[in-house]
Amino acid sequence: MKQNDDITQLQKLLQLKRHETPGQEYFSRFVDAFHQYQRREILREEPWYAKVVEVLFEPWLAGIPRLATVGASAALLVAGIAFFLGPVGSNSSQLADGKVAHERGIMVASNQSDDSVQIQPELIETAAGGEGTQLRPLYVNGHGAVAYDSRLAF
Amino acid sequence: MSATTAQLPDLENGPTDEELVVSTVGGNLASYDELIRRFQSRLYGVIYHLTSNHEDTNDMLMEVFDKAYRSLPTFRGQSSFYTWIYRIAINRTFNFLEKRKRRQGAMSLNELDEDGLPKFDMPDTIARNNPVKSTMLNELQNKLNESMLCLSKEHRTVVTLYDIQGLAHAEIAKIMGCTEGTVRSRLHYAHKQLQKSLGIYLRR
Repeated sequence: MKQNDDITQLQKLLQLKRHETPGQEYFSRFVDAFHQYQRREILREEPWYAKVVEVLFEPWLAGIPRLATVGASAALLVAGIAFFLGPVGSNSSQLADGKVAHERGIMVASNQSDDSVQIQPELIETAAGGEGTQLRPLYVNGHGAVAYDSRLAF
Repeated sequence: MSATTAQLPDLENGPTDEELVVSTVGGNLASYDELIRRFQSRLYGVIYHLTSNHEDTNDMLMEVFDKAYRSLPTFRGQSSFYTWIYRIAINRTFNFLEKRKRRQGAMSLNELDEDGLPKFDMPDTIARNNPVKSTMLNELQNKLNESMLCLSKEHRTVVTLYDIQGLAHAEIAKIMGCTEGTVRSRLHYAHKQLQKSLGIYLRR
């Protein structure tokens, strides 16, 4: 019972905030002030990204159904993941002495001072060292190993 | 817009909000003026009780009506205009509050209402008769604003819509895009928090 009384008291207190208004004069002038604001806004060009942000966060306001936004966002996410997990340079690892081993095939590179990309067959080693391991050429640019790309090999 | 006031359709007999929307989209801009007059005070209240700052509220209110006007062609009448424009106002105010939070951290009470606009209508009359009561009211107002600002924006919104503006749970749920249960639960939590911070005023 006491709790209900407290809630009633609280609501009465909060209703005092209804009186926090700028007064009738403000509202009687508001429409005119709004027209002036609109004229200023027409002259101000909205940046292109504002529209993108609006469509993303308030699709209902742009007349786009929520389901369409969810679908588009999911497609974008998948495309983004696919882009960042692309094959180039993703599956090579740096060895302690600056050599690089490729998990498929074999590639070892060493840091040299020469800036040009060279192919140095003499540096080719095998990662597993076993027979049947395919030997591949190596690219070195002098600043560290370059990701292996079979399309560029000879 | 005021240039077309003469063409205003049948306002004395009270066209519905939706009729005014159709009329505005059809090119009768005076109908939008009427929509502004119908909602300006209520939307001002919502935005003000979320921001606790009159100057920010004025800017936001302009922005909300401008945004609603530009978006009217996409208004399909799936919800009432009333719900739709309230949603615009609340979403815009939430965005604004996020920006303000990033810009200046939590607001101190000293930063609120320093724009020279009158805080209360009521104390003007009270102040003439009873300055002590006026001071107490100002103190109470500060404490109320402080307590409201301690709530999250979602809790502050349900308190504003339910306790201050007197909307029903179902209407609030539509505006906020959640269930009535969520509204009730947020309200319950917000009341508990406010009871804690306003305890001494409740026992007076």
